[in-house]
Amino acid sequence: MDKLVITASNIVNADDARTARLGTRFGRMDLMSQLALLAVEPFAPQFESIARERIAICLAARTSSLATDAEYWKGRDNTGGPSPTLFTYTLPSAALGEIAIRHRITGPPLCFVGSSEVLLPEAAELLRLREVDAAVCVSVNVVTPTLADWLALPNSASACAALLRTGDVAGRAVGEFDRDLEALCHYLGAQ
Amino acid sequence: MPVSKTELKTRIIEALNLQDITPEQIEDEAPLFGTGLGLDSIDALELVVMLEKHYGIIIKGIEEGGPAFRSVQALADFIDARRASTT
Repeated sequence: MDKLVITASNIVNADDARTARLGTRFGRMDLMSQLALLAVEPFAPQFESIARERIAICLAARTSSLATDAEYWKGRDNTGGPSPTLFTYTLPSAALGEIAIRHRITGPPLCFVGSSEVLLPEAAELLRLREVDAAVCVSVNVVTPTLADWLALPNSASACAALLRTGDVAGRAVGEFDRDLEALCHYLGAQ
Repeated sequence: MPVSKTELKTRIIEALNLQDITPEQIEDEAPLFGTGLGLDSIDALELVVMLEKHYGIIIKGIEEGGPAFRSVQALADFIDARRASTT
């Protein structure tokens, strides 16, 4: 079995999303999708050398789509009703779709709600089974002020992403017990 | 008084969160969907909400909405006609 390697990683936050310009679709997205898309954006050059149907996208949404659900719910009394655009983002897997659309990725998608610790093992399994040649792992954590009030959680808006590949590629080898994607991304970013 | 097309374009940009597009860049006769602004079906629903919210106009079906959403000019004409019919 070829070794598993993280060939790229990235971390973004709400400030990055506010100043980013990734085409006309970007402004219409909810914050979770914006963060996920931005976190993956630096991987685009590597996608060029991989068959798009051989790339998996593995997303972990720590608080599901609750932040967007709350915004949508708040709009229920508006004249004309809540925003139809927001409605399309009241699914935790919406961010996954945005990544697939932007990068024309047609490989298997996996979406997890909650902790990101399943991301690396699941992506590694897809690679070990040779179902894909690369796996984009993205973890998003969005807790807006409204959600923070409801759930007694601290405000948060960040995403981290790593690109896993096999074979003779440069990068940081992934160990069997690597679970913490955020810590790995911070470590790789600090190098 | 006819609806201001500049105001209408501003409302469209705000409702659809269109980045890096100014009212001046939207031509009156340019198609809103497909080519032109390249809007999609979800944007059409957002425009329906915008019309009710800002102009008090309710669109009940595609027969009404289809022709009205052809361009900014068509939408402005539609708003003016609706206002005239209710006064």
